[in-house]
Amino acid sequence: MSLLPVAVVVAPAAAVLAILYFRDRPNVREAWTFAAALATLGATGWLARVVLAGARPEAVAGTYVADVELSLRADPMGAMFALLAATLWLVTSVYSVGYMRGHDEVSQGRYFAAFAASIAATMGVALAANLLTLFVCYELLTVATYPLVVHSESDEARAAGRTYLLYTLGGGVALLAGLSLVYVAAGTLSFVPGGVGGLAADPLLARAAFGLLVAGFGVKTALVPLHTWLPAAMVAPTPVSGLLHAVAVVKSGAFGLGRVVTHVYGPETVADLGLSLPLSTLAAVTMLYAGVVALRQTRIKRALAYSTVSQLAYIALGFGLAERTAVFGALLHVPAHAFMKISLFFVAGLLYVESGVTDVDDMDGLGRRHPVAMAAFAVTAAGLAGFPLVAGFVSKWYLLVGSLRADAIGFAAALLAAGVLKLLLFWPMIRAAFFRGDPLASGPARDEAGRTAADGGAPDGESSASTAGSSLSDRAGARAWEAPSRVWRESAPALLVPVVAVALGAIVLGLVPDRLPLFDLATEAVAEVFG
Amino acid sequence: MIDPALLVAVPLAGSALPAVASRLRPRTGWPLALGVLLVQSVLAVWVAAAALAGDPVRTQVAGIPAPFGIGLLVDALSAPFVVLIALAALAVLAYTRRGGPRSGAFYSLYLLLIGGLTGVCVTTDVFNLYVFLEISGLASYGMVAQADRGAAALAALKYLLVGTVGASLYLFGVGYAYVATGTLDMAALRAALPAASDPLALAALGLMVLGLSVKVALFPLHTWKPDAYEAAPPGVAALLAALASTVAAYALGRLLLAVFPGVAEAVVDAALLGLAAASIVAGSLLAYRSESVARLLAYSSLAQFGIVVVGFVVATPTAIAGSVVHLIGHAVMKAGSFLVVGLLARTHDVRTVAEYAGLARRSPYVSAGFAVLALGLIGIPPTVGFAGKFYIALGAIEAGSWTAAALVLASTLFGLVYLGRVLERMYVGEGDTHAGPTGAASPGMYAAVAVAVLATLALGGVGPLVEGWLAPVLDGLDAGLAMGVVP
Amino acid sequence: MLERLPYLAAIALVGIGLAVLVDDEHLVKKVLGLNVFQTGIFLFFVTAAAREGGSAPNVAKAGPYANPLPQVLILTAIVVGVSVTAVALALLVRIHAEYGTLREDAVRAAIEEGRE
Repeated sequence: MSLLPVAVVVAPAAAVLAILYFRDRPNVREAWTFAAALATLGATGWLARVVLAGARPEAVAGTYVADVELSLRADPMGAMFALLAATLWLVTSVYSVGYMRGHDEVSQGRYFAAFAASIAATMGVALAANLLTLFVCYELLTVATYPLVVHSESDEARAAGRTYLLYTLGGGVALLAGLSLVYVAAGTLSFVPGGVGGLAADPLLARAAFGLLVAGFGVKTALVPLHTWLPAAMVAPTPVSGLLHAVAVVKSGAFGLGRVVTHVYGPETVADLGLSLPLSTLAAVTMLYAGVVALRQTRIKRALAYSTVSQLAYIALGFGLAERTAVFGALLHVPAHAFMKISLFFVAGLLYVESGVTDVDDMDGLGRRHPVAMAAFAVTAAGLAGFPLVAGFVSKWYLLVGSLRADAIGFAAALLAAGVLKLLLFWPMIRAAFFRGDPLASGPARDEAGRTAADGGAPDGESSASTAGSSLSDRAGARAWEAPSRVWRESAPALLVPVVAVALGAIVLGLVPDRLPLFDLATEAVAEVFG
Repeated sequence: MIDPALLVAVPLAGSALPAVASRLRPRTGWPLALGVLLVQSVLAVWVAAAALAGDPVRTQVAGIPAPFGIGLLVDALSAPFVVLIALAALAVLAYTRRGGPRSGAFYSLYLLLIGGLTGVCVTTDVFNLYVFLEISGLASYGMVAQADRGAAALAALKYLLVGTVGASLYLFGVGYAYVATGTLDMAALRAALPAASDPLALAALGLMVLGLSVKVALFPLHTWKPDAYEAAPPGVAALLAALASTVAAYALGRLLLAVFPGVAEAVVDAALLGLAAASIVAGSLLAYRSESVARLLAYSSLAQFGIVVVGFVVATPTAIAGSVVHLIGHAVMKAGSFLVVGLLARTHDVRTVAEYAGLARRSPYVSAGFAVLALGLIGIPPTVGFAGKFYIALGAIEAGSWTAAALVLASTLFGLVYLGRVLERMYVGEGDTHAGPTGAASPGMYAAVAVAVLATLALGGVGPLVEGWLAPVLDGLDAGLAMGVVP
Repeated sequence: MLERLPYLAAIALVGIGLAVLVDDEHLVKKVLGLNVFQTGIFLFFVTAAAREGGSAPNVAKAGPYANPLPQVLILTAIVVGVSVTAVALALLVRIHAEYGTLREDAVRAAIEEGRE
């Protein structure tokens, strides 16, 4: 019995109450968010150290239903996910404050409370010692993120919220059915590295259970055709899209898939039952389909959402192949994609708050207006496409090698094709931002404050988005953005600093992945599962 | 050891007090009812603790032995319900001090209801069960009519007509059982029925099940429920939602488990499963289409009792434990929801789903409480609503009843659809967020709601405990031993 | 056939009672229907207790006796039935005082009107 895993879950959970209590005093409220984020990161960091030293801290809350305990147990795979979420929560909290205040959003108390609750549930998913505990946290994660999706309380947000709940709780039902079958078949729901054994006794039951579990986790992993909630959920504020809908929520699904393959069925059983090929095929189809659909999106955030669908399928493919190197690649792709996608979302939110840009078509010339942010965008987008020296390359390399080792040439080709699709998606954006829009030609007149003289092209909804000291584009005419007077003046620091931080994180992950605890934890996890 | 007969006798005898005393001195009804219920609660907890710790507690009324005399029994199956009745009665009483009808006659009916319901839970005589069913029925018809509105009288009359038909059908079934076997004692019936001629035993089972299905309000025998719950005073609606159908469902479960095994199981199981399925689907649909929140909650009960019945039909130990957990949990959650409805009607004058828009801002704590109760009714872990459903689903899978399992699991989504509608309005609906409160609520009202919310969360882990309690009793029944005899 | 007659009568009473209960709009007739329905069930019990050539179960006299138990049960059930009827009539008085009619459709219409 160890209190360490409990602390990781309780730290953000406790913050929920404090934030709600101080909901009308912004500074005290945000202080609690930061205190909780730092405490969570501290506890998770310590936990990761302990796990790397070989310990497996465990905490049991008692028997919950049937013979299954509600318990937490930190193993390398869980600690890796927890560490990732804790790190990014801290960064996102800074960004959230900048975004929400810069935007004068309503119900900020509810927002930060729900955010902390979501993190607590994510920690529970990461550290759950059995499938039932994971399920409980997975459902709580759904409930906790709902207020964030409907945050704006617009009709569109409410509709998205309904879709979100129906999909995710529907997934929950499939998951519950699957885990009940597993319980009846195997008599246990505990996670055992390499599988619990005994599941292959009744192949039909085991296959049905696997299908239900994949459907259950597949909803949050956004596997086609269960993915449509994710683009709809992009009505949420951008920090939510960044941390939750690119990291915590969706990766809880992917993580769950990983747990099922590596700790419930075990790679061998997955292969023996012939489950590897269908799951991998589903993942590959998702990868390519979402990659193509992303190209047709006009909203930046929706394009990023489809890119997320596609990237999550990489992870699902790695687990689906159930081959050592591929699983390692999948595990590595969890933090890699997290850092890259969160920085892309952060840039998208920054563009919205500071310049009112939401559409891909309006990105012309943004590189001059937001040089640092767009540079971060370009670098991480390159990483997503698979360029070396950025985070994405390393994980994709392992995935590629893994699929070749599994003699799955087709899947290797799909991986490469998906990379090309990413290039097709991001290159036009980067080209528009840096190489389009001539500042000299028909540039709008500037007043003394450096404000663009708008001549009536901007829609009302977005003009309210611009804050003092920043400019608004003139959609109809000029595509030119004036360069900021100083580099650091292009945006509020609370927005720009997190962007730079996560982008640097993505680069560090690409340059020296093996120096980071995340890499060691992934290595340990694979060693545990494959012996 | 105290006599279980006291559990019934205390509230029944005490029920004379409030009506008489309030004639002599006004406003004495509530304290007298409180006194009687406190005594009854202490007895209930005491007897239940004894029954759960060791052997079942039993007695023969007037010392006449079975099968001629009337037996009373508190075993692991009935003990949770005895305690539930006593504690729910106390919690709702705290609410009615300010909120409910305050006449002396009302509190007499209140005690009569509690006595009758407890009687249904402890009796081992099928005819005695009918009498207690009617005592509690009469009390509840009178209590529904206590509301000021004229609609309440009509709703109460409808409840009376349908409820009496249900009870009479049950009595009809008892007649067949007696003709077939010559006994009315449950244990003796269990032994004699399988040997009796098929048509008689089948008619007895069919009529008794049908009658109790009316009392449980399974679709399409539910028509009394929404009218009665909507028209009744909020405290009464909460008490009836917590106890009336719950106790009827307990009686149904007890008969299926302890009296009728071996009689035409396939036919009756299929019929009951059909009724349960219809209840789950139609109840959810009707709830979704309701404008009044009270009606919505009443229709939701149809669906929830459908789930409970599935557990009793599947009848593996896991599923039975699930049904017991779900009955207790549903009682707590539904009573709490009705108390919230009453509270909000009082403080903000809102009754329909549309009027609930934006309530979360005006009344954040009560709304949060309602959200927890609603999530429990939907079946989100870690509430007690999840625990019950999961046990029933698990039991169905163990027994290979795939339809039953799918139905129970899918009911979560149905619940999401009809209750999510209310929650969405409350939290992100566009409503008149500036309207102030229109009436005051007492601390007792808030306390009653708080107890329900906390119980919804705290009972989430009660499953293994109930499973452990029930195991010896169910083993005894499986072994063909008389009810309440532990091997 | 003849000894089955009381059973048939019981079934007939149950059917008639239920039909009136369901079909008639007049609330008093509904209550009457309920009473007829219950009487059918009482008759069923009492018939089951009867014995050819049996006398009242007075132990001082020689048998055979009619079975006393169902008769005792039905005595209880009749008491219950009377109570139910009393409550129903009390409700009817209140409905009549409030709406001036005892036809269900008229009362419902009045309630709907009050709501608007």
